[in-house]
Amino acid sequence: MKFKGKSFIAIVLSPELPFDDWLREVDRIIARSPGFFIDRPIILDVRGSNIAIEDLEQLLADLRERSIRVMGIDGVAGTRLKDGMPPSFGGGRLTSDVDVPGPAAQPNGGGDDTSTDAKTSKAANGNASSPEKSVEGNDQAANGHSFAKSLEELENQQAKEGNSSIVISEPVRSGQSILHPDGDVTVIGSVSSGAEIIAGGSIHIYGALRGRALAGVAGKGNARIFCTKLDAELVSINGLYKVADDFDGTLRNSPAQIRFENETLVFEELN
Amino acid sequence: MSNATVVVVTSGKGGVGKTTTTAAIASALAKEGYQVCAIDFDVGLRNLDLIMGAERRVVFDLVNVVRGEASIKQALVRDKKLSNLFLLPASQTRDKDALTEEGVASVISELRTYFDWVICDSPAGIERGATLAMRHADEAIIVSNPEVSSVRDCDRIIGLLDAKTKIAEDGGRMPKHLMITRYDSDRAKTGDMLATEDVVDILSVPLIGVVPESKDVLKASNVGLPVTLSDETSPPAKAYMEAVRRLLGENIPVTIPEEKKSFFGKLFKGRAA
Repeated sequence: MKFKGKSFIAIVLSPELPFDDWLREVDRIIARSPGFFIDRPIILDVRGSNIAIEDLEQLLADLRERSIRVMGIDGVAGTRLKDGMPPSFGGGRLTSDVDVPGPAAQPNGGGDDTSTDAKTSKAANGNASSPEKSVEGNDQAANGHSFAKSLEELENQQAKEGNSSIVISEPVRSGQSILHPDGDVTVIGSVSSGAEIIAGGSIHIYGALRGRALAGVAGKGNARIFCTKLDAELVSINGLYKVADDFDGTLRNSPAQIRFENETLVFEELN
Repeated sequence: MSNATVVVVTSGKGGVGKTTTTAAIASALAKEGYQVCAIDFDVGLRNLDLIMGAERRVVFDLVNVVRGEASIKQALVRDKKLSNLFLLPASQTRDKDALTEEGVASVISELRTYFDWVICDSPAGIERGATLAMRHADEAIIVSNPEVSSVRDCDRIIGLLDAKTKIAEDGGRMPKHLMITRYDSDRAKTGDMLATEDVVDILSVPLIGVVPESKDVLKASNVGLPVTLSDETSPPAKAYMEAVRRLLGENIPVTIPEEKKSFFGKLFKGRAA
């Protein structure tokens, strides 16, 4: 038997005291966009709050009333949870914020309501992540900084253009991780062994790919991976992955593209 | 009053030749007439004093200075042969947590006023000792063996140099030089070792020197002399001297050391093949 691995982006709810006010904020989001929480994986993050188990029970009931089904709880030991509560969950990696629809209820509305977007998303998320948090590694402080600036610029650019792709104009070193679940990632330089690129869209590498590249992680089958020299440790599109040992040897060290087709990964030489 | 260039010698992996390189570069710079100070950041596992033959004259160390228990002038040990070469030894009895960020910053800034070159010997690893050693550097020498695990660790270190150092945080970019040590041309030819081009290609850092694997290095450290002082004509000493000239800005091509075979050796090899 084989198990398929799949990545999903979960919405993380971090309730703030007093819970009544926080729930009212949730109600406002639901009023604006009734389908927002439907069919999305939802994690309740109560780390650092030392919440009493009775309060947690009440909170879960309140959320259930609003048809928000919590799939896991981060920050409470599994042994403390009562029967029937969602399981304890840990070890998540932060990605960028999930946008909450603005008051005008227009998806991808015009430029003027982006600021309100940001505000509501902060309210819903409790700890809205700063641009640096989109880039993570084993050593956040070490890696965050060098790309923080470029990401900030990109964020601005993104607000203007409404689409999202990032360009990294230096080599990605071992131990560094570029995480961009919203769109394409372009790297001008090599991706070293022990480094990884995780993108919601396609990955373009103008250099050698020696590390890992995971494209289309938010469930995008038309994402592709391009590189000028294929020497990867692992590639993945839409949750389907292949390790170097399973690659077609003829493409090693050649320019290549990888795409997802009929539930398999197709490797092609790029001319 | 001079203002020194601070160079960190680092690699990530242990045993690749950081300490040997620090001693060799520092003494080669001193021979060129510069005021040079070598600092051992490997608190708890100090070695630079042995390689430089100063272990019998150590009184105070870096930890004493950082904690204000001794002045820098009290702790500096002058080299026996070169009067313009100094060593700031590490403590052997403490551990790396004894170093504080502010303490190291003030030591480095004081040394900058006394010397032309300050060479920091980084401990292995990516923890506190290593990050403090690179923190205030102006330039870095990355030491790698032509072998995959060492290369990957160097890659990791380069990532840290571009993120955790003072220069990087101020928005600058630290100049980096790649030093390949323990190079064996025969094994590189047969594919047992990575070729220099491969290492340079993977790390994308300009090459400053290739030092051959040699008995001279071991011999030199056993007598407590940097390899550039013990036998100036040995291949590793020549490689280090060349690297120093490149560090000083001279534009000379890097020579890849080739094992010199005796006439009989060549004949023998020819017949065996």
